[in-house]
Amino acid sequence: MFLRLVADSFGRRPRHKLLTGAALALGMGVVTAALGVALDVGDRLAKEFRSLGANLVVTPTADSLPLEIGGVDYRPVNAGAYLPEADLPKLKTIFWHNNIMGFAPILEVRGEARPFVLNDSVHQPGNWVENVPIVGTWADHAVPLPEGGEFRTGVAKTNPWWQIAGRWFSEGAKECVVGAAFAKEHRVHIADSVSLASGDVTIIPAPLTVTGILASGGPEEASIVVPLSYAQSLARKPGEYRKLYVSALTKPEDAFARKDPKSMTPAEFDRWYCTPYISSIALQISEQLPGTDVRVIRRVAEGEGQILTHVVMLLWLVTLAAMLAAALAVGACSAASVIERQVEIGLMKALGAGSATVAFLLAAEQLLLAFVGGGIGYALGIVLARLVGERIFGAAPEPTLLVFLVVIGIAATVTLLGSAIPLRRASRIEPAPILRGE
Amino acid sequence: MTELRDTNRAMFWRILRRLLGANRGRMFVMLLALGAGAAVTAALLNLQVDAKRRLTTEFRAFGPNVVIVPKGSLSSSSATLSQSIIHSVPANVPSGRVTAMSALYMVASVSVPPPGKSASAVVAGIYPLAFITAYPSARPNQAAPSSENVCVAGVRFAKEVGVESHAELVVASGDRRESCRVASFRQTGGPEDNRLEIDLRAAQRLADLPDRVSMIELTVPGTPAEIQNYIADLQRRIPDAEVRPVRQFTEGEAKIYNRISGLLTATVGIVLLLTALCVMAAMTNVAIERRMDVGLMKAIGGATRRVVRLFLAEAALLGLAGGVIGAALGILLSIGLGKAVFGVAARPRLIVYPVAVGLTVLVAILSAFPLRRLASIRPASVFRGEA
Repeated sequence: MFLRLVADSFGRRPRHKLLTGAALALGMGVVTAALGVALDVGDRLAKEFRSLGANLVVTPTADSLPLEIGGVDYRPVNAGAYLPEADLPKLKTIFWHNNIMGFAPILEVRGEARPFVLNDSVHQPGNWVENVPIVGTWADHAVPLPEGGEFRTGVAKTNPWWQIAGRWFSEGAKECVVGAAFAKEHRVHIADSVSLASGDVTIIPAPLTVTGILASGGPEEASIVVPLSYAQSLARKPGEYRKLYVSALTKPEDAFARKDPKSMTPAEFDRWYCTPYISSIALQISEQLPGTDVRVIRRVAEGEGQILTHVVMLLWLVTLAAMLAAALAVGACSAASVIERQVEIGLMKALGAGSATVAFLLAAEQLLLAFVGGGIGYALGIVLARLVGERIFGAAPEPTLLVFLVVIGIAATVTLLGSAIPLRRASRIEPAPILRGE
Repeated sequence: MTELRDTNRAMFWRILRRLLGANRGRMFVMLLALGAGAAVTAALLNLQVDAKRRLTTEFRAFGPNVVIVPKGSLSSSSATLSQSIIHSVPANVPSGRVTAMSALYMVASVSVPPPGKSASAVVAGIYPLAFITAYPSARPNQAAPSSENVCVAGVRFAKEVGVESHAELVVASGDRRESCRVASFRQTGGPEDNRLEIDLRAAQRLADLPDRVSMIELTVPGTPAEIQNYIADLQRRIPDAEVRPVRQFTEGEAKIYNRISGLLTATVGIVLLLTALCVMAAMTNVAIERRMDVGLMKAIGGATRRVVRLFLAEAALLGLAGGVIGAALGILLSIGLGKAVFGVAARPRLIVYPVAVGLTVLVAILSAFPLRRLASIRPASVFRGEA
């Protein structure tokens, strides 16, 4: 009988139920879409912030003080300490190895360069240019991973704002990339070649073919970028580098992250260690690479943390506001549907139904609507959240069970709360005056 | 004739008043739904306008984004600029003030007297030296130094030379020397960690380059496009120097700014659309319940057009009331939200208010339109209780 009453209520007023359901579905669609975007946005934006490049820099502990002006180190090659390149794959073995988006070792040498400008398909040798900064690094280097496979990384990941006209050099080939300022001054173009030497000019190595012109907006534009192994042979420092840039996905620092790890209790330390804060990733890297100083590039890391925190908070508040509005509108809708049914309620009571039975019947109806409407709204919201995610980040957020449960829960709560107030009033109604139409 | 029209109009308003007053509960839920819609519309519209503007200020957390360097400085780093060039830099842009920092770099020998360690290090003359505030990421341990014989030591420099806080340092270049007292330490992860920063005038005396600087760093607020325009404009004003963006930050910012503002627009758009539809569905639901009222009016001779007009007027009034209250609440809400997120209250935009109220009235009227279907109602069947 109970089920029949519910079914009858739906069958008798299909348009009415359809509209209540539509309101519910749309409201829950808002909730799902906003929640889906807000849950996902932190990770996505953190990835976007990697377009600012490296946020950690690794240097040897034993290094002498760099004499760096405008990005050019004035120390002689034999001063200071170096780090072994062979240790680098260990970076992908730290606890947060999946958060290491890229890294690139740097070895700078000052040397002489002699451009060969291509003229009528003949390379015309130019004059030797002295004191040219030569930067050795990885462009697209395959780092073997301990568990097998490889990780491709290089300076394009840590310095994404470097623009290359042409292409990067390939590792192992006799190729190089020339800074835009150097190229302009010495009229070097792509497909020309450059001879490099350092120290002893009597042994002139085979020239490198220029594959690209680098525009970075910084001092690198005056230099020549070569594969790391080539710079190592120029500097006579085989298998070594001087500076390592690491780009890591991090969680914005909060009050807990700023605590001194040394003063933490073991439980706190574990929690800190297992959270991808920039400081804990720095510690993990220095554990893997002995003899290094891992420093946070504060300008990048803190600016990122601040903006990320604010944007995520903003979206959460927008989500909350949207949820509130949807809840109010849906609640009002259910309230209205109960108010309009006073005659029906009066009739049921006149036929001997108790207030509890009536309330239970109406609640069952509302819940049924909430589940159907909430389910449709969830599907609608997921589609919209995907659309937003794909349009803006090029990747759709994963639908999660949590959002589904939250949405169904909100739908049920809101419809029940919305109908509870008029129901209470209805339960106090005397059936007779209602049935007489008063 | 005029009299009849007046009576008609008086009657119209009277019926309207009664319609509204007849069922307080129903009026309340309609107002609630419309008001909630209006509040969220106003709050999101206001916040969206404000947040985009605020974001550009947020990006200044990255510090300087434009540098002025001598022409051809890339091939010879000893080139310098005249300090007076800073007077040609426009100090105000639409989004706020430009802050500038001049620097002169040199390699000098630094020692801690009495005959302490001596080391060769990069010494940067900085004006204003209190520019620590321009790099909010640097955490000065003490208040910013202001007087001429104070210096700020980078952490690696301090470790290497063995400098303690408040230590007296002697900086020497050739036969010229200056002394200064360490006021604070800096840790930025950048080249600043390796150097000693002293007052610009002291550095100019040391290098014997009066009124010359190596570089001027500017922090320009604004959207990426505004910054591009600023750079182009500045380059025209000072043709002897080179103005270049700090690409790492200007490009990253442009990308991130576009993403965030796109995200905000999309989220706000979807939320607004769905909220409008949701409110509309709720209102329509209420409206189609009113067969009895329509039936009665038709039975006593109301023309369909007049009846529909009555209900539309009722909906518009409710929309107006809900919109006026809701939008005001929404703007208050957005002020609070702005304060919670950015620490600064969002500036209320007056244009948002009429837009939100107008949208609410529109939604209310649209949702009353299904009543036109009631034109086909036969009064008799309504009264007999037939559905």
